[in-house]
Amino acid sequence: MTDYPVLTVTTFMPLAGAALVFFLKSDRLSRWIALATTLATLAVSTPLYLRFDKGSGALQFVESAGWIPSWNVSYGMGVDGISLPFIFLASVLTVLCVGASWTAVRTRVREFHVALLVAETAMIGLFAASNLFLFFVFWELMVVPLFLLIGVFGGPGRVFAAVKFLLFTLAGSVLMLVGIIALHNLCGTLDFKALAGANLEPRHQAWLFAAFLAAFAVKVPMFPLHTWLPNAHTEAPTAGSVILAGILLKMGAYGFLRVSLPILPDAVQLFLGPMLIVSAVAIVYGAYVTLVQTDVKRLIAYSSVSHMGFVTLGIFTLDRNGVEGAILQMINHGILSAALFLCVGMIYERTHTREIKDYGGVARAAPVYSILLALFCLAAAGFPGLNSFVGEFMIIGSAFETRFWLGASAIWGVALGTTYLVWLYYRVAMGKTNPELAGLALELDVREVATLAPLVLLAVVLGLYPECVLSYLHVPVRELLAAGGAP
Amino acid sequence: MTGVGDVSRATAADLVLLVPELILVGMALAFILVARRIQRTPLAHIALGGTILAALAAALAATWVVPLESAGDGATGFGGMITMDGYARFFEVLIAASLALAALLSVRSLDGERIPRAEYHALLLLASTGMMLAVSSLDLLTLYLGVELMTLCSIVLVGIRIERPAANEAAIKYFLIASFASALLLFGISLTYGVTGATDIAAIASALRGTESNPLLLVAMGLLAAGLAFKIAAVPFHAWAPDAYQGASAPVAAFLAAGSKAAGLAALGRVCLVAFGSEARTLKVILAVLAALSIIVGSIIAISQTDMKRLLAYSSIAHAGYALLGLIAGTPEGASATMTYACFYVFMTLGAFGVVIALGERGESLDGFRGLAAQRPGTAAVMLLFLLALTGIPPTAGFVAKFGVILSVVRADHVALAVLAVICSVVSAFVYMRIAVFMYMKEPEAPAPSRFPVTVSAALAVTALVTLVGGILPSSLVPWAVSP
Repeated sequence: MTDYPVLTVTTFMPLAGAALVFFLKSDRLSRWIALATTLATLAVSTPLYLRFDKGSGALQFVESAGWIPSWNVSYGMGVDGISLPFIFLASVLTVLCVGASWTAVRTRVREFHVALLVAETAMIGLFAASNLFLFFVFWELMVVPLFLLIGVFGGPGRVFAAVKFLLFTLAGSVLMLVGIIALHNLCGTLDFKALAGANLEPRHQAWLFAAFLAAFAVKVPMFPLHTWLPNAHTEAPTAGSVILAGILLKMGAYGFLRVSLPILPDAVQLFLGPMLIVSAVAIVYGAYVTLVQTDVKRLIAYSSVSHMGFVTLGIFTLDRNGVEGAILQMINHGILSAALFLCVGMIYERTHTREIKDYGGVARAAPVYSILLALFCLAAAGFPGLNSFVGEFMIIGSAFETRFWLGASAIWGVALGTTYLVWLYYRVAMGKTNPELAGLALELDVREVATLAPLVLLAVVLGLYPECVLSYLHVPVRELLAAGGAP
Repeated sequence: MTGVGDVSRATAADLVLLVPELILVGMALAFILVARRIQRTPLAHIALGGTILAALAAALAATWVVPLESAGDGATGFGGMITMDGYARFFEVLIAASLALAALLSVRSLDGERIPRAEYHALLLLASTGMMLAVSSLDLLTLYLGVELMTLCSIVLVGIRIERPAANEAAIKYFLIASFASALLLFGISLTYGVTGATDIAAIASALRGTESNPLLLVAMGLLAAGLAFKIAAVPFHAWAPDAYQGASAPVAAFLAAGSKAAGLAALGRVCLVAFGSEARTLKVILAVLAALSIIVGSIIAISQTDMKRLLAYSSIAHAGYALLGLIAGTPEGASATMTYACFYVFMTLGAFGVVIALGERGESLDGFRGLAAQRPGTAAVMLLFLLALTGIPPTAGFVAKFGVILSVVRADHVALAVLAVICSVVSAFVYMRIAVFMYMKEPEAPAPSRFPVTVSAALAVTALVTLVGGILPSSLVPWAVSP
């Protein structure tokens, strides 16, 4: 039934849409084209989910074509169970971004949608790439549209935030570039599967791990390289925050799974201790810093530091449950942080303030909004029956098996997470109605409810039946850990 | 001086090798003799047309006059002083392209100022002739002649806006430093002759093979490298570039940044790889120092620049350093990487200068780029493309170029140099992205720029196309980038 190259079409369809938006000089039309493109991208990607063979750990839907023969670099695409959920997440979130920006973005609408669609191509391409060269191309391609999204459409401190984001990510990724080139020099190829069997010398592995760590740790972001994140997430427009929190942060962790674990197993053992310590610090430190934030967006931004700490903790337990939980948690965090940023963005459009103290009693004026916000806050806090619970549970279980204090600090992080989220909800939605909010129509309209609805659905479905993601992960994670020399 | 006697018996087969140069010289002479009379008439644009025609004809001649199969070692002439090998061919086409693009970009500055049109184009053509001669010489003396022809014409071009004191000052500074550099170059050549008894590049190589290293030779190599480093504005021989670029009109600065840098790199490449191939160990140190200093100084000083021509001058200094990285390895792959770098660099820097030129007075300062994206989204997008290419971000040609040279450095086991180069590229990212910040994230202060002349738009389209396609399909260039 499908005789088109699914991955290539899925990856480059948004780019075609971006070109269309750029050359059709109409703002009104550009929203519709962007919506149509993102929906079409989702549509053409359906064969990926329908025809995927969960029993195989090999790359599927493989496409390959000659590209730069003199460097032995080819154009290669392919997905396995680890990358597939991220492609889904990226294509869904971009649709929601278009929906969320329908009225929020009023100036330079064309440029906004061009940047958003280029970012979608970069995101999907990154997860679909089957060699390191292409991976790097999409990795860098991602930076430019986000730089513009933050810097052009963001809040008051947008320029500083955009430049800081750009310099942090570039500083990391150029070191990765040297790592890639060194790998190319050592192995003569950049194909992921070929590199995984390369058996590099431990000495080389350690340096390569450090080079790749620079790029991945900035993106995740791992403590203490997280300082770009609060600026960027806070100042970005809603759609930018969604892309940043939903996908960009996952790129780093995905890099660990795709590059560090399979290709540099000896170095992973070497760096295991520091990575686990840094993860635990990120969880606890991130949570404490989140607790004292007075700006809603900043609060959610810092909570990402803590939540991504869980992810790296899970990955570096090198335990099957831990790694699967980490991947599941990446998806969960992608859904929930996107949802929370969307919620904040929607109310910000009406109140034009992000200070928590300017809110209060929203529940009375906007019951639907408050119910949805409550659901997402509870989910992010790890409430059983909603999606985050399963991932965190798996990670904490593995953490306790690895070291007692790792598990303890993760539990501590969960407790703090519940505190800041419930407290946030209490201050925003409950209590007396803030007089400043009187007279504002705070309730969501149909478009906004429709934008949040898919995320509600995902949060509940993944909470009740996590196996729908986990079933994709079992085989590739087992093979990853078997090849990577798990303890 | 092997083979000097043969020159008197130059045959048609010899002259064929010089067809591209002869076309350019012929056109230049025609301008000086004929076009001078018509430059106040509506036919003034004939100079532009003639220059572009000559550039295209020269490029075609470089590609097709000598059949490729005989272009190996066989295609030498004038007693082995001139060649038309793949290396020369590549750079001649590149020089012709930068000549044509510079001519296209010159239209506005020629219309706006009282510059003698015919002489201007004649000088562009003669400078290009010098460049082509330099890249196709197999003898240090012809190489010297080519390089000097290029430099002298460039000096006049820098100062051609005689009413402007800044232009005069720039020309004089450039002239003084360039004469000093010529002296170094010539002294290097004479010392080389003293050591090896030859100025022929192949003869030097064979004389040096198997001999003990000679301190005099070290001095000779240092002087030659220094003389040529002046031409490509590599640190510490870069001081002329920012002043000359700033004083010159923007199209002349673009031509200097693109064409003369490519020619200088080509000459340096041939001298290092062929003539002193056996001294690779010493050369490696010299080139590594030049490259590292250029990258560091160019990237860091560019941060504080607010004049676009100065900023692009420092950027061109940094890029000279990146391009040199390919020569350090001393391998054919490394030389190919440098050639690719030179090629893509020419197009992206001409493109960036092109946007500066298109914006007129406004484009000369960084502040002029404020709010450009709101006024001219297309122009801003094109400029963003060039800036990304100069930074080295995929999928632009700049990334492919940078990947190639860094790969060759890593292969030569200079990982520290590679790390230094990429870290400086983050510094230069700040420089280039600051322009993007001004374009996209600031409110416009000046009124929207008027429509660009169609020639400028054409030049921007060509450079943007090469910058993009070169990044996506770099292998289309590979068969052409053959090392000497």
